[in-house]
Amino acid sequence: MANRRVLVKRRKAARNIRKITRTMQLVATARFQAAFNRVVAARPYTEKLAQVVSDLSRALGSDTDAQHSLLKAQHDTGRVALVVITSNRGLCGAYNANVLRKASAFLEQQSAEGRSVDVHMMGKKGVSYFRFLKRPMVEENVDIGDIPRFESVEPVADALMAKFLAGQVSAVHLAFMKFLSAGQQRAEIVQLLPLAEPAESGATGGSNLDYELLPDAESLLSDLLPATVRARLFQAFQEAAVSEQVARMVAMKAATDAAEDMIRRLTQEYNRARQTAITMELLDIVGGANALA
Amino acid sequence: MANTFELSVITPEKGVLETVAVSVTIPAYDGELGVLAHRAPLLVKLGAGWMRIETAEGQKLRLLVSGGFAQMGDNKLAVLTEQAKAPEELDTARARAAMEAAEAMVVTDDASFEARARALRFAKEMAKAAGE
Repeated sequence: MANRRVLVKRRKAARNIRKITRTMQLVATARFQAAFNRVVAARPYTEKLAQVVSDLSRALGSDTDAQHSLLKAQHDTGRVALVVITSNRGLCGAYNANVLRKASAFLEQQSAEGRSVDVHMMGKKGVSYFRFLKRPMVEENVDIGDIPRFESVEPVADALMAKFLAGQVSAVHLAFMKFLSAGQQRAEIVQLLPLAEPAESGATGGSNLDYELLPDAESLLSDLLPATVRARLFQAFQEAAVSEQVARMVAMKAATDAAEDMIRRLTQEYNRARQTAITMELLDIVGGANALA
Repeated sequence: MANTFELSVITPEKGVLETVAVSVTIPAYDGELGVLAHRAPLLVKLGAGWMRIETAEGQKLRLLVSGGFAQMGDNKLAVLTEQAKAPEELDTARARAAMEAAEAMVVTDDASFEARARALRFAKEMAKAAGE
């Protein structure tokens, strides 16, 4: 019967899809592990850097003249920058949609306050979304990928800092998927520049040592702060990469489960169709025999 | 008290080295600087060049580093650097790529001049090490 053959075909298709999504789920799991390890490996640098900065700013004291221009809020130029971190690849559920929704809300909020926003878009998915909406972007970067390297993030950070210091923008914000835990990620807007107060009043428990400084404190600080900005941006990229893999893992798990449900339903339908056909045939035979008798 | 101290070399991507050392020579921004155990607290900016390490087991290690900071305190030396490469990791292709990237850097102010000089020196050392 034609109906049965169609059911067999559909079941086969569902099985193939299940095979593919299950493989993708496993790949995403492995990638997630690797990305997560990279985030953990990068943590000591960020922590040490924060400690050094807080030690140094304590050594400088609350000398207001020593306030570095990366810390100071520039006068409001009516223009801010927003770096949006999306993925290069799809099939990761609502990952990109969530980040982009957050970014769009930020854009609306800023324009309501009378500021214009320079959008720096990272990742193919965000670029194509904004192109589709015909929203302008000042930068489209699709080279960073799901294994962010410090060398490729560094120029992005440097360009942003140059823009900020030149007074073209009065603030730089990041929109990305923050990785809270393996079970929880959240799309967030985080301010990158001006840098938030680096010393959280001894929260790091930094040592009160009398450092010998080479060169002097101010020029050290003017090197440390850009390093902090770079490290923060790099960390955002890494967290986004981990979140992407988690999102893909969850999406592929859901797809595999849905395929399983469909296979079960199709199998049931197929069996019923087969049974109906057998019954019909039997009825035919019995009917024929009765007619002859 | 043993005349050793803890050393950790960290880059933004990972911790490169964690060891107990007897002496370390680091390439500071204005020349080399040797560190022994119980050195007074120090915070110094790094340039580009070879970091030489003698571990407690008498092993001699070398790392090519570029940029960043070294912090000594509590008999612990932490080296935060943007790049750290062991001699085995260096090859001519990479050295050439680094050299090209360094030469392409545009100088607009003191900081970028310094960065370019550092990148050039790093690339040169890479090429030398790879050529050996």
